[in-house]
Amino acid sequence: MLIFRSEEHIEKWCRDWRLPRGATLSVEQAWKLADAWYRDRLSPDWRRRNVDEAHELFRSLGLTSEFWKLA
Amino acid sequence: MPDDFKNRVRVRLYKMFLELGRCPSSAEVAAALQCPVPEVAVAFRDLAAAHMLVLQPGSGEILMANPLSAVPTAFVVETHADTGPRSWYGNCIWDALGVIAMLQRGGQVLTSCGCCGESMTVSVDKGKVEAKPPGIVHFAIPARHWWDDIVFN
Repeated sequence: MLIFRSEEHIEKWCRDWRLPRGATLSVEQAWKLADAWYRDRLSPDWRRRNVDEAHELFRSLGLTSEFWKLA
Repeated sequence: MPDDFKNRVRVRLYKMFLELGRCPSSAEVAAALQCPVPEVAVAFRDLAAAHMLVLQPGSGEILMANPLSAVPTAFVVETHADTGPRSWYGNCIWDALGVIAMLQRGGQVLTSCGCCGESMTVSVDKGKVEAKPPGIVHFAIPARHWWDDIVFN
């Protein structure tokens, strides 16, 4: 997951790597995702989210497209 | 291997990573837990198999204790601590922001545009995030394929 200066730079990177365009997030959205995903990682009680839990987290952030489906 | 031991290894690994400012070796974790090195190595492998860590392919030592990277990357994270500034490496922009989230303190990610290399800084202060210059985050690989090649991802 990379950060780019503009949509044009994303499109050029995708062309250069011969990859289809993926999903884009604003920096604010990326921060909210990082915060939700990693906030509790140092807890001794942390455990890896199962697929349903991960989907619920994505859904809570509005990430509901097929791109965000883990299975 | 009991899950309780694997969790002790995981928790100690992260604690030492943060205290040392670098990733500890399996030998260092074993010494801290007063257990044989091979037991820690097996725990590393089990945790990696469960996608809770990523190991270096040759040595079997840690490559990623997400969101932290054990090796230098293009995502330097500087955090604000009472004891002064600290820095880490994140695995990607998501993980770099994740380091700040995990530590629950302000900080900034020093990185660059994935296309042209222009310097970029993403700052987080009191939960508010700002990129200079403004930027857009791109996820190239669909979620179901993230672990197909986690290093590229």
